[in-house]
Amino acid sequence: MIGSISLELNGLNVRFGGLQALDQLSFSLQQGEIFGLIGPNGAGKTTLFNVITGLTAATSGEVRWQGKTTAGLRPDQLCNLGIARTFQNIRVFSDLSCIDNLQIAMGCNDRRAALELLGIVELQEKGTHLAGSLAYGEQRRLELVRALATKPQLLLLDEPAAGMNPVEKQKLQLLLNTIRKQFQLTILIIEHHVPLMMKLCDRLAVLNFGRCIAIGSPQEVQEDPLVIEAYLGRGA
Amino acid sequence: MFDISLFVLMLLGAILALAVYLPMRAGQLSLATPGFYTIGGTVAALLSTTVPELGGSEQIYPLASVFLELMLAIPLVALLAFLIGKPVLKLKGIYLAIATIALVEILRVVLLSSPWFGAAVGIFAIPQPFEGPEGYAAAFAVLLGITAWGCQRLETEPLGREMAAIRNDELAARCMGVHSERVKLIAFVLSAIIAAAAGVLAAHYFNSWSARQASFDASITTLAFVVLGGSRTWLGPVIGGLVLTALPELLRPIGDLRLIVFGLVILLGPIFIPQGLIQQKRS
Ligand SMILES: Nc1ncnc2c1ncn2[C@@H]1O[C@H](COP(=O)(O)OP(=O)(O)OP(=O)(O)O)[C@@H](O)[C@H]1O
Ligand SMILES: [Mg+2]
Repeated sequence: MIGSISLELNGLNVRFGGLQALDQLSFSLQQGEIFGLIGPNGAGKTTLFNVITGLTAATSGEVRWQGKTTAGLRPDQLCNLGIARTFQNIRVFSDLSCIDNLQIAMGCNDRRAALELLGIVELQEKGTHLAGSLAYGEQRRLELVRALATKPQLLLLDEPAAGMNPVEKQKLQLLLNTIRKQFQLTILIIEHHVPLMMKLCDRLAVLNFGRCIAIGSPQEVQEDPLVIEAYLGRGA
Repeated sequence: MFDISLFVLMLLGAILALAVYLPMRAGQLSLATPGFYTIGGTVAALLSTTVPELGGSEQIYPLASVFLELMLAIPLVALLAFLIGKPVLKLKGIYLAIATIALVEILRVVLLSSPWFGAAVGIFAIPQPFEGPEGYAAAFAVLLGITAWGCQRLETEPLGREMAAIRNDELAARCMGVHSERVKLIAFVLSAIIAAAAGVLAAHYFNSWSARQASFDASITTLAFVVLGGSRTWLGPVIGGLVLTALPELLRPIGDLRLIVFGLVILLGPIFIPQGLIQQKRS
């Protein structure tokens, strides 16, 4: 079903006191694509994830998921509807084993399925280790499969490559392409590492001060004068 | 010398500690346990002293009547905990603790000022279903066994794991599909049920029952059971409840100094063993 719309933003606004964190955002994701979100610090990228996952309410405008508005739905309901995420600052359940981290996301007892998922990110040996005892990069990978364990259709990744070395970034790119096919995912990804995003994404949107200043293929976005200006900091 | 009546109190302490532990397992610091305990005891005291039919024809109060009291007290307290928990569990951390202390205080004053519940003197001459403390020890041991068994089951059930996830990181748990309001409410209601059941048995054991059971002291003591014993597995609160109930009695030979030693244990325990006596198995 590649080509049909999965997630749709309609004139989305989020205001924190005097700060306009998201400003009239309107775009939509095609089913099956990897859609990148880039922009300077404080542009509102994480805020958009928080609205999509029900943690932050939109001030006005709406998010539509599979044709229905998500207004008023709780994070757990949105998760059950097929939207899963990772966090910019890692939030694994550090006092629990890796297997338990996944079983919570699966909502049932199934150690075998949990170990299988851990295998995807080469953590099968660490099943009984406490999540908090893993190395940083391992925790990021655990968070990724924990999101997969909820059986999502849309996966939101908030800076999954942060703190990774070039080899790990390369592996992550391969991994994301693999799981997208294997699990038939639509992926919305925030990442500051632009070369990675150019290779990975089908389309990109650029946010600046909460506003979408460019959207299109990586090529189009890279050549956009507004984007160049935002990144050179003339507007800031 | 084995003091059987002290043993009964130790078992009671362990049960109440598990009641404090359950919400804590889901990251909720609730000090409402003595309140539900008092309500359970009040139901038992009122029924057994005012309903002659419950008394039966024998000298001894029938166990079936105690069972009936439980069957009335438990749904009543569960409903109450549900109605209270829904709004109160929106509070977090210390605010929840303070709100639950306030609720227990309200209950205490209501009981104190109402002649219906025996007012300041309490309800006396609560009939005895057992001839001596041995029977009570058995009854409390059964209740403790059932409660501990339930808590042990929780450790491997999805519900128990969801509680642990909420305690670890509620926001992340919600994003992973955990309906945290529901899970916290279940923990709160289960905790209230355990406390109420303990109250029913205790009212008979103590022979009298009054608003004094719902004191701020009781809130803090039951909390200390869990803090000292540890709140990672069910065994921690059980050990904490047994030990801290026995301690003041065992220290009786040293006179008034014992209260100071007791205070020091509660103070120094968390400093030197912050995870509690019983710690989580590491892998
Ligand atoms: N809950 C909140 N209350 C008030 N202001 C907030 C809140 N969350 C975010 N903000 C503000 O909204 C703006 C956008 O923040 P956001 O975290 O979405 O940026 P970002 O694009 O993810 O940045 P970064 O690349 O640094 O992660 C920032 O100025 C931030 O301080
Ligand atoms: Mg961010």
